[in-house]
Formats: sequence, structure tokens, C-alpha cells
Amino acid sequence: MTATNKLNRLFADKKKTLFMAHMIAGYPTMEDSEKVAEALAKGGADIIELQIPFSDPMADGPTIAVASEDALKAGATVAKSLELLKKVAGFGKPIAVMNYTNPVFRYGIPKFVKTIATAGANALIVPDCPFDTEEGGELLSACQEHDIFFVPVVSPGVPEERLKQLAKASRGFVYCTSRQGITGATSRFAKDLENFAVVAKRIFNLPLAVGFGVKSKEDAQSLAKFADIVIAGSVFVNVIKNARPETLEPLVEKVMRELHI
Amino acid sequence: MTNKKTNYGGAYVPEMLWDTLRKLSAEFECAKKDKVFQSEFQDLLRNYSGRPTPLIFAERATADLGGAKVYLKNEGANHTGAHKITHCLGQGLLAKRLGKKMLIAETGAGQHGVATATVAAKLGLECVVFMGSEDIKRQRPNVFLMERLGTKVVPVEYGSKTLKDAVNEALKYWMENLDDAHYCIGSVLGPAPYPEMNRYFQSVIGREIRSELMSREKKIPDAIIACVGGGSNAMGSFYDFLSDKSVRLIGVEAGGIGKKLGEHSSRKIAGELGIFQGYKSLFLQTEDGQIAPTHSISAGLDYPGVGPELADLYANGRVELTYATDAEAVSAVDYFAKLEGVISALESAHALAEVRKIAPKMPKDSIVVATLSGRGDKDLFNFARAFKDESFRDFLKDEYDRY
Repeated sequence: MTATNKLNRLFADKKKTLFMAHMIAGYPTMEDSEKVAEALAKGGADIIELQIPFSDPMADGPTIAVASEDALKAGATVAKSLELLKKVAGFGKPIAVMNYTNPVFRYGIPKFVKTIATAGANALIVPDCPFDTEEGGELLSACQEHDIFFVPVVSPGVPEERLKQLAKASRGFVYCTSRQGITGATSRFAKDLENFAVVAKRIFNLPLAVGFGVKSKEDAQSLAKFADIVIAGSVFVNVIKNARPETLEPLVEKVMRELHI
Repeated sequence: MTNKKTNYGGAYVPEMLWDTLRKLSAEFECAKKDKVFQSEFQDLLRNYSGRPTPLIFAERATADLGGAKVYLKNEGANHTGAHKITHCLGQGLLAKRLGKKMLIAETGAGQHGVATATVAAKLGLECVVFMGSEDIKRQRPNVFLMERLGTKVVPVEYGSKTLKDAVNEALKYWMENLDDAHYCIGSVLGPAPYPEMNRYFQSVIGREIRSELMSREKKIPDAIIACVGGGSNAMGSFYDFLSDKSVRLIGVEAGGIGKKLGEHSSRKIAGELGIFQGYKSLFLQTEDGQIAPTHSISAGLDYPGVGPELADLYANGRVELTYATDAEAVSAVDYFAKLEGVISALESAHALAEVRKIAPKMPKDSIVVATLSGRGDKDLFNFARAFKDESFRDFLKDEYDRY
């Protein structure tokens, strides 16, 4: 497989810290979430992380959990989210799809990976599917086949022994949470985050994306000291939640611009 | 369908839990062989929880049903009124060995929450229990008890606001407090090693059934029946008899009020293979892979998944699954109360409902054992409502005025 993944070009041309902006497919509605994606792209996001809503998001805090629930109530499905993915890909930014194991498993792992690849995704994040499970193995090989990066999610506290195991199968980049716990809009990075990031970069030898709790430019700057990619998510959900339909796009674009460094 | 064997169970969790689960597995393996651990555990079971629990010969029910001899394994006689305390004691001791300062737990009916709160108090650990706000409404007395035991009860306000959401929230809290907290999962589910560990602790139920029947009847039973939410009392009752192929092992799920998704909690009716809350098993879910809402009159059975070992035993035919409706469960409580002086928890009443169905069809020299996983005190308010008891309603009004 030749390295044609769009993310590789982005990483090769990288002159400063990149920004991965997270959004939920179908939140607040399918149509409006397309506008959110466009606003994130216009506002300067380098990568868009598109989360497919799941009823029980284990690694997400209340902000994203409730937004996922709202998206499902508004009619979001895996199939509709994959349609949205095609449109989001049209905005030209590389895309990391995020989902939990059960909807991917139910959809069928090879079929799911093929579908997101065809729709224009470049990476896949499944936080509750370790590489060394049966399904993790299936995801790794399906992703390999379709030139999708199956991205490991690690956190301060994961021992070096485990990082080394994961590194053997990892391609593209590594998603590192800024602390143990769940996504959320409270800025509280682990004390040992920087040390962990240094170790993780050495072991994986891949770009490191760091997220969980980024809500201001200062947060982004503090992570940029050691992160190759800064991730923010809940902060956009909060903006979207409080925006009126007509101000949705400009507001999201403004927050994106303000966060980017 | 492929012929590939399904690997039920596993550990489908974020990497941040990898090391914690590894250490827990290692400590569990070590404790199994450790005489000090075993003697502490046995001492607590005997002198704190009150084991062995009685095996009641239900003589009048046997005569009335006209078939198999009916025995009730009364786990409701345990301290705190249900079998749950057994795995809480086991896990509490493990948590102390791991140097943890706090137990966290999810609870549906409140039984596992009360048991965890009790063990935390006994062992000198802090305790936080997560409970869906819908369940808090249904099981207020247990919330009161947990708080009196010094536990913080945290309502879960999103999702279906029931047991599965309490599990989600407990997992999240755990991931934020890995150094201090041990997550005392309340059934034979969750990521490895929990299903095996809780089954290991609960398997005392089956061993006691065997030894008691051998001394009184000189034989093992023909059938064992237990209710199944996640499956802790069922796995505990069944495990010792897995290799005795003559013994039918019957799990009874919550048939609720109908067969549509959202009206019951039975994986027999509509379970599909899935991966959720750390394990692979049968789950009630939509075509889209979203976890489906469930219903049961008993909060303890109101959960979409079933323990992976039980799903495996069901798939290979060793364990049968069936279900009892809400109405059948309520009726079974009444039947055994009047005939045997036993007021069962609504969860356990699902097993009792099955006894009424199969005992009459079994020969008179056969034996059926039903595990009474808990006693009915906690369901006082729900029973009163189910029986539309006006004097109890008046009592509640008066009680309100007395406050």
C-alpha cells in the first residue's frame, strides 16, 4: 500500500501545530451539522473529527453524551451520518470518523470501513475497541486495506509496555487524552501529561494529537508545546447548543478561528 | 450464520483501563490461591452475611402444584436481603488488597447499591453509587438506606435514566478516579475479569444447594431456576451443576408488558450479538446498533445485556432462557407469600413464576430448586401499588402529614 492518505501530506507539509475540530453528525440536526462542518473548515480546522452518535458513549462526558442523545432524537442514524460524511469530505479537509464499537460491529466491520473510505474518511477512532480484540484485529486489517488510519487512543497512565504493543500496529497519528477520564469542557490536564506525551511520541514515532478539555486559546497553546495536533470538541457543542439557527455558522467559525493558534 | 465460535466476554474498554484491569485480574488470581483471603472471605460470608442461606422445602406449594418437589434457595436471608452482598464482600476485600480507598457501584433496584454501601462501611472504604433518576423514583427506600450507610448516591439524569446509564456513569467516574477507586460491578458482566470474578464469588449458592440437597434428599435437583438480569444469581446457582447434564438450568428474564422493543428486558425475545459496556454478549438493540430501551416492573432486571458466560451457555444449549411477564411476577409473589410465608423481591418472582409453570409437569419424585435472589421488603411500595392497596395509600398520605 502506497502512502496516499491525505493526512500524510498534511503532516509532511506541517509548519505549525495542527487543529482537529470535533463535531457530532446530526447535531443539532443533519442539515445544520453540515453547516457546522463547513464553518469549522472555513474557520481553519486542519482535520475534522466526525463523531457518529451512539446511545451510550462511554468515553464522553455529559456535554457530548447529551448532544449525541439529541442528535439521535432528531433522527440521526449510522446510515445518515455516513451520507453526511460524503458532504463533509466535500469541504476538502481530512476527516477522522469516530464511533463506538457496537454500531460499527452491527453495521459489519469490513462494510463500515469500506463505506467510510469511499465517502472520503482518512482515519477511524473507536475508543472502546482495543487493537488486540477480535474486532480490533478486523478493524486494523480493513483499515489497512482501504488506506484508513485506525488511530489508537491513549491516556497518561497507560504503561510503556502497553504503548509499545499498540505502536506495532499504529499508523497515521495517535490520539492522546489530556487526562484520565472522559471528554468535557473543564480544562484540567493531567500533571504528567507533558512527560507522557514525550514518551508516547518516542514510542509511537507518529504525530500526537492531544485533546479532552480544550476550551480556550490558552489551553490550545499550552498543549501545542508538545502536541502536533490539538483537538477540541465539547467547546463547539456548547456553542452550537446556545446558537440560534441563523447565527450557527458564523459563531462556530468565529470560535474555531479564536482557538486556532 | 457462520460456524465461527463467538468469543463472548472480552475487555472492550478505553486503553486507560488496561492497566487497572490487568492489576485486578492478577490480584483476583492471587486471592483465589491465598489462604488469608479465603479465610477472611469465608468469615465474612458466615459471620456477617449469615451464610449458608436456608434451602426451604416449599411443602404447600409442592402439594398445590402437584408435581416436582419445590425448594427455594433463600438468598434473601443474606444480610441486606439479597445475594448481591456476596460478590461485594469479595470485591471489597480485593479493593483493599489493591490499596483502593473507595468503592463505586451502579445500581438498578438498589440492592447492589445497598450491598456495596454496606460492605464499604464494614471495610472502612468510601462509597459512591450511581443510580438512574427513574430508578431513584422507583426505589427511594434503598436510596435512603445507602445514604444512612454513609454513601453518596449520584442520580444519572441522561439516557433512559435506568441501570445501563448508571453503569455508563460509574465507568466514567471510575476512569477519572482510577488510583483511588475500585468499581464494584454488580453482576456477571462488564470487561474481564468481572464476569468470571463475580461468578466465582457467587458460585457458593450452587455449592450450598448441592450439599444441602445431598444431605436431605440424597440426590441433586432435576432443575434449577433463577431470574436473569445480568445473571449474577443465575450464574451463582448454575455454575456448580454445569457438568451435571441431567440438571436443567433455566434462566428467567423479564417479559415485561409485551414483545416489542422497549416493553421487556428479554434477550431470549430479541437479543442480538453486540459489544457494550466492555463485553461481547447478547443485547437489546436497534438495527442501527443503538442500545434499546428496556422495561421491567423489577428495576433489577431492567437492563439490555446479559452476562457473557450466560450468553455462551445459552448459545451452546446448556442453559435455557425463558421469561415471565410483569403480571406473572406479581402474581408469583402473592402465591408464595400465601402458601409459604415468603415475600419475594420482584426480580426473584420471575423465577417463582416459572416454577408454577413447570413444576406441575414434572414427576412427583423430581426436584426443582428456585433461587430466591432477594426478599421483597424493598418492593413494599411497588407491591402496594400493584395490588392497588387503598389502606397503604391512605397510610402514605397520613405519613406525609406526620412529617
